[in-house]
Amino acid sequence: MTTSLTILGIESSCDDTAAAVVRGAPGAAQVLSSVVAGQTDLHAPFGGVVPEIAARAHAEKLDLCVIQALDQAGLALADVDAIAVTSGPGLIGGVLSGVMCAKGLSAGSGKPLIGVNHLAGHALTPRLTDGMAYPYLMLLVSGGHCQFLLVRGHGDFTRLGGTIDDAPGEAFDKVARLLALPQPGGPSVETEAQNGDPERFLFPRPLLDRPGCDLSFSGLKTAVLRTRDQIIAEHGGIPRQDRSDICAGFQAAVGDVLAEKTRRALAVLRDETDGPLTLAVAGGVAANQSLRQALLAVCNENDARFTAPPLALCTDNGAMIAYAGLEKFAAGERDDTSLIARPRWPLDQTSPSLIGSGKKGAKA
Amino acid sequence: MPSDQLILAFDTSAAHCAAALLSGDQVLGVDVDDMARGQAEHLFPLIEKLLGAHGVEWPELARLGVGIGPGNFTGIRISVAAARGLAVSLGIPAIGVSSLEVQHRTTPVLATVPAPRDQCYSQAFTTGAGQPELTTIRAAQAMADRLGIAMGQPLQPADLVTAIGLRAQAATVLTPPAPLYIRGADAAPPRDPAPVILP
Repeated sequence: MTTSLTILGIESSCDDTAAAVVRGAPGAAQVLSSVVAGQTDLHAPFGGVVPEIAARAHAEKLDLCVIQALDQAGLALADVDAIAVTSGPGLIGGVLSGVMCAKGLSAGSGKPLIGVNHLAGHALTPRLTDGMAYPYLMLLVSGGHCQFLLVRGHGDFTRLGGTIDDAPGEAFDKVARLLALPQPGGPSVETEAQNGDPERFLFPRPLLDRPGCDLSFSGLKTAVLRTRDQIIAEHGGIPRQDRSDICAGFQAAVGDVLAEKTRRALAVLRDETDGPLTLAVAGGVAANQSLRQALLAVCNENDARFTAPPLALCTDNGAMIAYAGLEKFAAGERDDTSLIARPRWPLDQTSPSLIGSGKKGAKA
Repeated sequence: MPSDQLILAFDTSAAHCAAALLSGDQVLGVDVDDMARGQAEHLFPLIEKLLGAHGVEWPELARLGVGIGPGNFTGIRISVAAARGLAVSLGIPAIGVSSLEVQHRTTPVLATVPAPRDQCYSQAFTTGAGQPELTTIRAAQAMADRLGIAMGQPLQPADLVTAIGLRAQAATVLTPPAPLYIRGADAAPPRDPAPVILP
């Protein structure tokens, strides 16, 4: 595959409106531009992402992000080979806005349209940033997702395990809310934990006693709530040092769980390949330095390579969608203007679903 | 704009997908499919069929008209997002037209569009245009009586999309279309107050 492709990518499945241009070939591509318009301020008063507010912002920002991304790449729409867009899974109002904008871009320019799974975007990012060879282990850990994926090809994923309830990012946000720390919770809990004693409060390590790579964070959240309420009952508020200690203890629990499950997932990868073992992490939670250290330690003890894309490509962005679109396009995959936006779309269609096993099917 | 330029109008603000093709103020064709859901998948195939039936290619269009509601939030976003994408790819203006303003021609009217739970979106057009609002049908009727003007009726999809095309054709202000929600997003701040942090 020597042809160089130029792909426009569009992402709007949660609270970031993003567009980017990526150029190259599978395993050898570079980011020409990447524009991300966040919505943190819009959602801050509500302590979480409000779907309708997110959808409203996306609908009026997407085209502007696209224009900006093309400008920064020094290209016109006529210069791209195809338009890739997140068509699920995610908050459906935002996904729909992105898909409709992309259809408009595609119809008017005659450029092919490619629907991309948001999770595939994250999972293939190591190929964009490091030219990573298949297979590798991917830990996707963000505000909305937590799963271990064995990545064998751009459309070949096996989910080794995932959260059966909340995503770690959600837990960080919730803990921040419980402790009067600002949103988003990830960075504020991490900063607060730096002054804390991780061993003063011993929080549960959910599901460590069970085999496999599934995770759970809901009980951990509740344990933090109980500890907090006890402290408030005793002191009439939360002494600052106690807050730091809770944050440190909570973060240590998340780190222990992720590390142990990663150890198990690496063992599965070892059975799969004779080549070098690689763990890649992506998602906003991968920005947490203490969690990274925990994962790095597991990799070192298993002679596995550890890689995490730079933060801007770890959190939601358009470049990962453009790159995943590039791999699909290079493989001859195309969609048309009847492309469907899907709120639920598991990457691994064969493993039994973890969340949302109702009649609508697995969430992700 | 010149009287023979091609204008495409579309609307998905209620349980339909509607598109109209105009040459200046002449209506070349209208296509409507009633549907409660699935507009996002159906809109472009419907438009492509309409353009194809008149031998029109996308790049020949000079202007877009798009229904901005009020109505179903998702529905109006579907059309507005599509129109904004098309405006970028075709390099032509997209004009947002509200389904309230199309009810006003020359005589004063209290334009109304149905809303859930015995409510309606309404807007008075007298010497000027009033503020659009969400109100009960009873209150809208009282307002029309007080102003001494007739209650407007929502246009049927084919008439609505045609009117959107005509308004877009006549428009002189070319700002990007934005959905006309009127009602704010349902969201409330968290109920649990934040705890007090002691020194």
